[in-house]
Amino acid sequence: MIEFINRPVVRLTLIGLIALVVQTTLLADLKFDGIALQIMLAMSIGAGISGGSERGALAGFMFGLMFDLVLSSPLGLTALVYGLVGFLAGYANLLAVANPWWLNALIGAGGSAAATFAYPVVATWVGVDGWLTTRVIEVAIVVALANALIVPLAAPVMRWGLVIKRRARLAPPPEIFA
Amino acid sequence: MFSMSRRRAVVLLALSSILLITLDLQGNAVVDGVRRAFGTVFQPLQDAGRVITRPIGNAWRGITQYDDLEAENERLQDRIDQQEGAFIAALATARDAQELLALNGIDDLTDISSITAQVVGESPTNFSQTVEINQGSSDGLRVGMPVVNAAGLVGKVTEVFANRSIVMLATDVSYAIPIQVLNLPEPEPVVTTTTTTVPTTTTTTTTTTTPTSTSTTTTTPLSPLSPSPSTSIAPVVTSIAPVLTVAPPTTQPTPSSVVDINALPAAETGAFRGRGSDRAPIVEFVDQSSRFVKIKVGAVVITAGGSKSLAPRGIVIGRVVKIVERSGTSGAVLEVRLTARLSTLNFVRVLLYQPAVSP
Repeated sequence: MIEFINRPVVRLTLIGLIALVVQTTLLADLKFDGIALQIMLAMSIGAGISGGSERGALAGFMFGLMFDLVLSSPLGLTALVYGLVGFLAGYANLLAVANPWWLNALIGAGGSAAATFAYPVVATWVGVDGWLTTRVIEVAIVVALANALIVPLAAPVMRWGLVIKRRARLAPPPEIFA
Repeated sequence: MFSMSRRRAVVLLALSSILLITLDLQGNAVVDGVRRAFGTVFQPLQDAGRVITRPIGNAWRGITQYDDLEAENERLQDRIDQQEGAFIAALATARDAQELLALNGIDDLTDISSITAQVVGESPTNFSQTVEINQGSSDGLRVGMPVVNAAGLVGKVTEVFANRSIVMLATDVSYAIPIQVLNLPEPEPVVTTTTTTVPTTTTTTTTTTTPTSTSTTTTTPLSPLSPSPSTSIAPVVTSIAPVLTVAPPTTQPTPSSVVDINALPAAETGAFRGRGSDRAPIVEFVDQSSRFVKIKVGAVVITAGGSKSLAPRGIVIGRVVKIVERSGTSGAVLEVRLTARLSTLNFVRVLLYQPAVSP
């Protein structure tokens, strides 16, 4: 049983389901000027920060896919955007030798803003018109500010989810020497 | 900095996403099945989460929306007072309309069965406009059924699970439906004439002019002093109007029993579509026939019905609030204010209506 829970896929599924419940219940209710905060996005960025670009992309894809399954938007749209943002968050984190909390917050804000802009752009590209409006700017600002606070908290959770030991994370990533 | 396998993995994920999007947009049965299965598994978790998080949500709304709610409560109370009289008159008119429809063998909305549902969740994203209701396929709901509330059209059912459904709101960018625009007749001035014969043989006539859109005719009983019956055509919702004294009329006005066909509302068809939460929905492709001289602000928008439409004819959608003229043959674009307030939905009614021909 413990062996089973220690698998990253199982842990990620567990985290994803809990985050999805929070997203579809609490955060769907607590809206700021009609804007819902995006914890699934914060978790994807947190995965990138904790596990690097590849794991970030994988976790982002997984969380996005789970989110897509409860939305009426095209399946794969959120998976694509969250996967890319998870990848970019991991990539941005690689450029820094250490990862203090403020850097995580900065990556969280930047990644969230990028994802909020990318989402309607990709939607328009696949044929879902009408999402790309000036309101996206307001949504991006609110989501970015909120995720700047959530991502530093999400990063340790995702470290647990990806089964990464803290000592291993503090060592310089192997890509530095590549 | 990135190894080949790393890049390959990311490209593979991106391609998988694009493949899924393509399959879903083409209406793949497997994708729909997976979505339904996940929804069924996820529902108990979501219900449990809702029970836990509802008090937090209520507390949040209590803090952030208290002043708004109080102001809205006062405004609504005023509106209820204003509409009380209009409602009674409207009931009589609706009854007449139903009798006429029945006489002509035309179905109306009261013939369609419906199910009341409670809104239990809102959209978790910032782009799609949806709500979740607590009725599903086990209650007879099907994809495409229209959803209304007491004020008018709310949206349509887009996903159905066993005990819950997702409703796409009329403001969603993907929502579109054929409609009719009813240009209501010009409000004619109401003439109230009271002729009183006083012992000194002086005749005084008072004429009150009041704009109205709906009027009723009432005949008052004879007064001992009145030389002739007094006919009063008064609006349903009365208002205070200045009194104007003019010379006595030479003939007594009589109510006409002949229906003036030009006074009936002119209806034109078009296509209604939502544009997101921050922009008013619009009506496009309105026919500009000679009968429909000019669309006016305030015209009523209702569903057009038809064998392929997902909603029956006659559901009120809203009123035209702005007309944007376009050059060429594209016609005007009408901005519509919905009668149903979609931001504060609580209970809705799902009409168990399915078109005669699948769209």
